[in-house]
Amino acid sequence: MIAFHRFTKRFGPVTAVDDLTLEVTTGEVVALLGPNGSGKTTTLKAAAGLIRPTSGEVQIGSPRMAASDPRARAGLSFLPQRVAFPGALSGAEVVEFYRRLRGVDRASAEAVLQLAALNGSSPRAVSAYSGGMMQRLGLAVALLPAASLLLLDEPTAALDPDGLCAFYGVIERRKAVGQTIFFTSHQLGDAERLADRFAILVEGRLVALLTARELGDRLASRGVLRLRVDREPPDLLERVRRIAPRATWSGGELVVPGASGDRPAVIDLVRESGASVVGLTAENGRLDVFYRELVGGSS
Amino acid sequence: MTFAVVRLCAMQELTLAIRARATQIFAALFAMLSLGVAASGYILSGGSGIQDFARTATSLTELVLFIVPLMALLVGTTALSTDRGAAEMLFSQPVARHAILWGKLVGLFCALVAAQAIGFGASGLIIFSQSGQEGVSAFLIVALASIALTAVSLSAAALIAGAAVGRRRTRALAGAVTTWFTAVVLYDVVALGVASLLRSGPASRLLIIATLSNPVDAMRTGVLLAIQGTTAFGSASLALLRFTGGPTRAIAMITASAIFWAIVPALAAARRLDRADL
Repeated sequence: MIAFHRFTKRFGPVTAVDDLTLEVTTGEVVALLGPNGSGKTTTLKAAAGLIRPTSGEVQIGSPRMAASDPRARAGLSFLPQRVAFPGALSGAEVVEFYRRLRGVDRASAEAVLQLAALNGSSPRAVSAYSGGMMQRLGLAVALLPAASLLLLDEPTAALDPDGLCAFYGVIERRKAVGQTIFFTSHQLGDAERLADRFAILVEGRLVALLTARELGDRLASRGVLRLRVDREPPDLLERVRRIAPRATWSGGELVVPGASGDRPAVIDLVRESGASVVGLTAENGRLDVFYRELVGGSS
Repeated sequence: MTFAVVRLCAMQELTLAIRARATQIFAALFAMLSLGVAASGYILSGGSGIQDFARTATSLTELVLFIVPLMALLVGTTALSTDRGAAEMLFSQPVARHAILWGKLVGLFCALVAAQAIGFGASGLIIFSQSGQEGVSAFLIVALASIALTAVSLSAAALIAGAAVGRRRTRALAGAVTTWFTAVVLYDVVALGVASLLRSGPASRLLIIATLSNPVDAMRTGVLLAIQGTTAFGSASLALLRFTGGPTRAIAMITASAIFWAIVPALAAARRLDRADL
């Protein structure tokens, strides 16, 4: 659906994206993560045909066409990071303009206006809209055509909890009908909730590309098992460290960082030592911690 | 599809331009000044009352040459250098960028012509009611020149806005004001100054080229030639007339110059926009 092949984009002396090769297949939801200035927006804009590669290729659709070809964009819809519309138009007029531009029926326009939940503000001039309302209107316009590819640049940045809830609902419904979604976000919760795959960019380079399962495994390997035992047998820690070298006693708890797969063996060792487990907590690693590890390690 | 896109974008731009304060001010100002010119024509000769179409046309020419390019450049540049977020949303649609640009230009052209029609219409009606229809053709020629100058200035505005893609709008507006000042005020002074340093032959050639190169000068020459003959000509216009061998060929060259300036910058802007990173 989207193919970046050795995509590089330079703006003068600055390399925004460096040699990116990435494919987003039909029906996938892929989150593009990374710190500010890592090239996420440039990548998304290249897929939307707004910028041309300095070298390499960006193709979309099936059959694949260069993203800069207007025909290729017939199947995509893009929500920019900073949504803006002419201030003199009302929300309803904005939607009507894009409805006619995309050849969408009136019922769909009414549906997205309802979804945008502008609280009766659709006849008001856009210049009077708050940032959140503008974002909702932008989402309404982006969701207007039944495009097979949805490109969203930080779609939840200005949404309130209601808007967020509505957004998740829509994306999950679109995902269920096989729509391909490629989005950027600084909200790791968005990524964790919606994405099938995660691509992490740092300084324009792809530093990690993981499926949700792979990410789950990585997070599990960064988890911690905390065991509260009735007593501390003298050789228990040494035996546990043969399996989990970073294990330690802390406040009467045996704290065992490491992969979740090692946990049954650790519990067996505790039992064999004659101690009884009186309390147990198992935590997986957190995405934000893992993300910081990757970002920090690469920069 | 392209025609439908052009029409849709033109309708939207027309709506936006009609609602824009700048266009409304232009319409009111142009109407006031046109009425003022029609009503005050005899003041310098000690008289009073509404002057006829022919005299009003001559007085209106300088007003049109001064104010129409300024307003069209400002309104055009403002409208065509869209906010980044709006441009990204619009240009990610499955339509050619140049179709959107042509649509916007058509809409702006219609809005500005409508604004001028209010001024020409109001003063025309008053003149007709007071002085009859004598000399109305001269008045219509000025109106036509005003429309042509609007097209030329919007084309230049498209090029200025296109050159400033991705930069701040103020930069594009500064470019528009500089272009206006150069074409309307500075150009003649420089051309005549340089020509005065040359011998007769090269000076004439320079003035001919200067007249045809600047659409404002070309339009001034064309209008004066059409409504007054050669009686009110300056050195540049006389040089052009001598070169072309008569008014008909001179007007044909001036028309060609206006068409060139109305189309070529807009084509260059469309080409630039099609290739620009947004």
